[in-house]
Amino acid sequence: MSARALRIPAGLISTIVALAIWQVFTLVGPLANSSVPTATSTLARLWEMLFIPETWTSIWLTVQMALFGFIIALLIAIPVGILIGLSRFAFLSTKFTFDFFKVIPPIVIIPITILVFGPTQEMGTFLVVFALVFALAIQTAYGVRDADPVLIETMRCYGLGRGKQVLYARLPAALPFIAVGIRISAAGAMIVAVVAGLVGGAPGLGRDLLLSQATGESTETFAIVVILGVLGLFISRLVVFLQRRLVFWTAS
Amino acid sequence: MNLLNSRIIRFLLGIWLPILLIWWWWTWSADSVDPFFPPLSAIWEQFKFNWIWQLFPIHVVPSLRNLFLGYLIGVFAGVTLGALLGASPRVSRYFEPVIDFLRSIPPVATVPVFILFFGLDVQMRVAAIAVAACFPTLLSTMQGFRATDPTLLDTGRVFRLTPFQMMWKVRVPNASPIIWSGLQVSLQIAFVVTIASEILGSGFGIGAFTVIASDSFLILDAWTGVVLMGLLGFAINVIFDLVERWSLRWYIGQKKLAS
Repeated sequence: MSARALRIPAGLISTIVALAIWQVFTLVGPLANSSVPTATSTLARLWEMLFIPETWTSIWLTVQMALFGFIIALLIAIPVGILIGLSRFAFLSTKFTFDFFKVIPPIVIIPITILVFGPTQEMGTFLVVFALVFALAIQTAYGVRDADPVLIETMRCYGLGRGKQVLYARLPAALPFIAVGIRISAAGAMIVAVVAGLVGGAPGLGRDLLLSQATGESTETFAIVVILGVLGLFISRLVVFLQRRLVFWTAS
Repeated sequence: MNLLNSRIIRFLLGIWLPILLIWWWWTWSADSVDPFFPPLSAIWEQFKFNWIWQLFPIHVVPSLRNLFLGYLIGVFAGVTLGALLGASPRVSRYFEPVIDFLRSIPPVATVPVFILFFGLDVQMRVAAIAVAACFPTLLSTMQGFRATDPTLLDTGRVFRLTPFQMMWKVRVPNASPIIWSGLQVSLQIAFVVTIASEILGSGFGIGAFTVIASDSFLILDAWTGVVLMGLLGFAINVIFDLVERWSLRWYIGQKKLAS
């Protein structure tokens, strides 16, 4: 009982201490006369922003880019991953190419996408797809290959076709792998959507952050960073929650 | 089927698709009039002109130096803090919510904050890279330390190991496979933040070069920058894999024996 009861105060104490250190540093400490805002003024600005519709529009635009990109990436990656996973030849042939694109961060191609799409939502969505699709396809292919060979052989003996094998053996085997991929990509999608705004000028929180910094609104810069942290925390919690609900047979 | 197990066949299987893609890009773009997709042959000529080696010392060397400096500082801090927090769950309970919040901020979004602290120059870049690189390593180190098999610790106690020996002979080696996976994520994030800090900072670095070229419609230069950044991103991952495999060879051998 005591451990459970202690847990919340422990977190609360450290949060308050962190805020207090921030406040002291910016009020009387080494950052007193810098452009770094105090904790209280940042939180006050944050509170104000919550009542401005533009803030919510920006949040929605960012989430939208992340979400659309995420869904498109899934729609491409899962069928491609299944096809690749079904044949050893296809798997080995595509492995190097997919691995190559998997490790290339989307920020690298922003200078080209900005020329092709301009600083738009489409660009942000495209970057999210690019960031996720290769990793998700590889993950799906691994899952498909992980299906129990005895089960597949048995199905073959009973004359079940390829389609049924995929549906009843391969896909269920791949689902936990896909779920892990989804959990990792959900956070990644948000990050890329923010980067698309901050570096590529796509609308949303990223661009707001860039504009606030460029115009010297440092309090707003900090407030947006806090919003991004809360949003990130919320999404990672949400994904863990959904995963427990939807892929309940792999308890981890 | 046994044919697919041979190393040479695997290698050939891995590279036919990339070769085909590059060949397709080369012929498709050969007489391209689309201003944004110039012929690959022209990109290649410009690439050789820019990066071998005329602009290399001005842009690539500072980028790589910032990357490695920031990465080393961040990773050192990450392993140290992670070890302290992982070894004592009571202390870590106090820090966890703050760490949880800080790591939920997209790493690139912290660059404007560091610009406030340090301005646009090298210090800002290295600091942003270091902080971004710190978190994945910190978390994996914490996790690795927590997952230490209690039997191992008890065995160490039976042999009367000093706390120092316990740390370096038992806890660190035992946690190292998990720590290495954090180190890899840290490196990937450090690379992204390096480029972002150059784009948002000013003047020099591969990221800055490429974006300035793109903004001034120097399409060929922009393409050479994109290709170079892509190749660098891939290369650091390959090098990391080699180093990791070399330093974890005892662990990989152990797993092979077990399976």
